[in-house]
Amino acid sequence: MKFRLWKKAVRMSMRERKTFIVFTLMYTVLIFMTSFFMESVIEEFLANNLTFTSVVPLLVVILAAIFLTLLYAWIIVRRNRKIWATLKCIGWTKGNVTQLILGYIFFTTLMGLFIMVEFLFHWVAILGYIQAEYVPGAPVSGLPLIKLWAVLFTILIFLLVQFIGYMGARGRITKVRPMLALKRVGE
Amino acid sequence: MPIDRDTMIEVIDVNKEYRMAGAIIHALVDVNLSIKSGDFVMIQGPTGCGKSTLLNVMSGLDLPDSGKVILDGENIARAKEDRLSRLRRQKVGFVFQDYNLISTLTAMENIEALLWPTVLSSKEIENRAIAALRDVEMLERKDHYPVEMSGGEKQRVALARAIVSKPRIIFGDEVSGNLDPESETMIMELLKKINEEYETTILIVTHRESVVKYGNVVVKMDKGRIKSVK
Repeated sequence: MKFRLWKKAVRMSMRERKTFIVFTLMYTVLIFMTSFFMESVIEEFLANNLTFTSVVPLLVVILAAIFLTLLYAWIIVRRNRKIWATLKCIGWTKGNVTQLILGYIFFTTLMGLFIMVEFLFHWVAILGYIQAEYVPGAPVSGLPLIKLWAVLFTILIFLLVQFIGYMGARGRITKVRPMLALKRVGE
Repeated sequence: MPIDRDTMIEVIDVNKEYRMAGAIIHALVDVNLSIKSGDFVMIQGPTGCGKSTLLNVMSGLDLPDSGKVILDGENIARAKEDRLSRLRRQKVGFVFQDYNLISTLTAMENIEALLWPTVLSSKEIENRAIAALRDVEMLERKDHYPVEMSGGEKQRVALARAIVSKPRIIFGDEVSGNLDPESETMIMELLKKINEEYETTILIVTHRESVVKYGNVVVKMDKGRIKSVK
């Protein structure tokens, strides 16, 4: 049953095309920036060169990711209040509704991750192709834009951010009363 | 007080107040009402008489300040929100004036949505939704989105959603309020058919005289009190 709500969330989020595309692109950019700064911070840490100013950009993008997740949850709840009220009215619990909203956010984040990883793969593929053509024998180790471990670390952080999105959505959904479903348009 | 098994809803000494702009509004005052299983009830009254509040309280959407509401043998006057949600899913169907269909879902999906959080298999949910659509003669429009339907068609889909869980009672709030006379007749005839075929209790709040004839019980309200039950 729980998996069913996730599946439906994927379908419903994709049908809200404009919101889905805008937030997927924002997540893609944020995930890219987080991976980028993550790599430099960890490399500086390993080299014993880490300073507070070099950590600031990473903190900023992680905070931006948290803000974006909460904003997305807020927009989904706010824009579709009557839908959530109707679902509560016809028998969905607030846990069911929260799960559907979390499904929206989680799927959008996954799409952002997917696009970024695809971009990184294609970057290496294109550069590798050109290099093989014009600089045969050159090492390929410098081609990846961001190292794999930084990307994996970023994925972990974005999965943790989903929990904050869950808490945010749950808090807001609790305030949507099922009685709202009975209000007429314009009331 | 012993509960009559044939009684679908028993409202006992229910009071409900609202505060609006500093003033206290007595929406329900010492309301007592008993509705038998299989009744087709029309609740009538002028705007602000408390009929929608009574519907909210009887369906578990709102809690009374005092008194008891016994729905199918269970006092719901002090039940927790999640318990009320599950109770509504199992026993109650809703039809709204504005249809309240989800615009990003097809007719079929709108009906199935009620059963998504249940343990029923996807095939069983699909079969039930098809049966409900057939009952309201909308099966051929199952893949259409709400925006592609007329008001009457949307209300038929909403009605199918209300019956898909095989509820014991259906609550309707001004179900024909946005419909033309032809669609209104069709919706009311469908409700009558559901009432007779499945012995589902129907409770409709309305201000339209044209639909009152479909009920076998007519409750008239005024100023938060029940004036008459016929």
